[in-house]
Amino acid sequence: MADDTTRDAKLFDPMEPWRGMRDIYMDAWGKTMVDMVNSEAYAQASGAMLDSYLTISAPFREAIEKAMLKTLEQLAMPSRADVVSIAERMTNIEMRLDDLDSKLDNIQRLIVQAGAAPRVQLGKALQSTKKRTTKTKPVKRGKK
Amino acid sequence: MAEAQVIADPITAAADRLRTLTKVMTTKASIAQTPKELVWTLNKAKLYRYIPVLPEEKRHPIPLLLVFALMNRPYILDLRPGHSFVEYMVNEGYDLYLLDWGAPGPEDKHLKFDDYTLDYMPRAIRKLKAISGVEEFSLLGWCIGAILTTIYAALRGDEGLRNLILLTAPLDFSNKQDLTFARWTDERYFDVDKVLAAFGNMPGEMIDYGAKALKPVENYVGNYVKLWDNIDDPRIVESWHAMNSWVTDNVSLAGGAFRQLIVDLYRNDKLMRGELVIRGERVDLSRIHANLLTVIAEGDHITPSCQSEPIMAKVSSADKELFRVKGGHIGIMAGSGASKNTWPHIDGWLAPRSQ
Repeated sequence: MADDTTRDAKLFDPMEPWRGMRDIYMDAWGKTMVDMVNSEAYAQASGAMLDSYLTISAPFREAIEKAMLKTLEQLAMPSRADVVSIAERMTNIEMRLDDLDSKLDNIQRLIVQAGAAPRVQLGKALQSTKKRTTKTKPVKRGKK
Repeated sequence: MAEAQVIADPITAAADRLRTLTKVMTTKASIAQTPKELVWTLNKAKLYRYIPVLPEEKRHPIPLLLVFALMNRPYILDLRPGHSFVEYMVNEGYDLYLLDWGAPGPEDKHLKFDDYTLDYMPRAIRKLKAISGVEEFSLLGWCIGAILTTIYAALRGDEGLRNLILLTAPLDFSNKQDLTFARWTDERYFDVDKVLAAFGNMPGEMIDYGAKALKPVENYVGNYVKLWDNIDDPRIVESWHAMNSWVTDNVSLAGGAFRQLIVDLYRNDKLMRGELVIRGERVDLSRIHANLLTVIAEGDHITPSCQSEPIMAKVSSADKELFRVKGGHIGIMAGSGASKNTWPHIDGWLAPRSQ
């Protein structure tokens, strides 16, 4: 008997009807809001708000930037533009390194192919590699 | 004693719920756990290779490269163990790579689609080929990643691209009536140059607001109501926590790419009209010959199906398929039904084409 009472108590959730009503209300609210944000009026209003924010904040932004630039100059520290310039150079260096990496991969592939190929083809493969490095002198590995 | 217990139990339960709520709202879930190695980097971009779990003879010889959107973190593809597309594909024997674009800094504000498709992607793919030892590969692009992979396929598709998979690809912008973003970014209301002059890159928070404002009640209220309703179910809480960690991890979009997205695509539909020019080369979609699978989410409010369908008629691929799946923009790949619908279909399509 006590078990039945407990089970019934678990089954009955007094909040359930409220949840149902809440979900119905939220569905309706959600649909209304989707229609609203899809309207031309919303696009116009949000665009105007963003534009106002950018226009109003522009003088403050400029003033802060100028003040920051002067402060950094006084402290002999690099500005944001200097850091950006260094970062751009770093990316260019990375690209050069990537180009070198590509060439090394090609050479490695040729060596592997040459190792797997018969003697005649091996010579050809090495010749094609030499063509690109004819001005490089062979490194002598003799005793010092 | 029994009366005291009757009062104490609900209080303890409420305290537990509040503790769970605080935890999921204030901490990051453990995500992207599939083992991987970093094999290439350039600027902020990183190429990862997932550690294969099958012996080489059981793996597909053609590697697969995943390219996600520029303004979200790619770990949505590897959300959590047991619910990860990456883990699924690695277990199915794919040699899997992921291109993570990273977060652009002020120095990257000039980066455009041109740089991503003709500098970053070819270099990453060159490395992928060097590591995998094969000249052919497959590409999977999702959302803005699908725009990038489509442009790449049209411009450099003859450099070994065998299979192209496009997920919820926003490629056609002609139907302005169904595109809320197109209305919001109309040149009468939205000054793209003014925004970029102020911020340099398009801030991730603004992009996030735009995405959520498409369904404001669902995203700003319903999402949390759903969590509270299921706060006693650890399975749902864990899933919510992981998804929330991803949703709140915003990335800015490089200024140059954002301008192209708005001006060239949303306003002028240049890609589909064959007028998009990338570093002097016109992007001609008829130059795409790779096997093509286009996946459309039927409930997608970010990329409606009218944006993804028209490419099927534009490409020259002899082998092409359009697959519709129930779900939303993210749900089709990261939702609870993804492992039963989308992932097996992608695997079923790709496996015979990766031999």
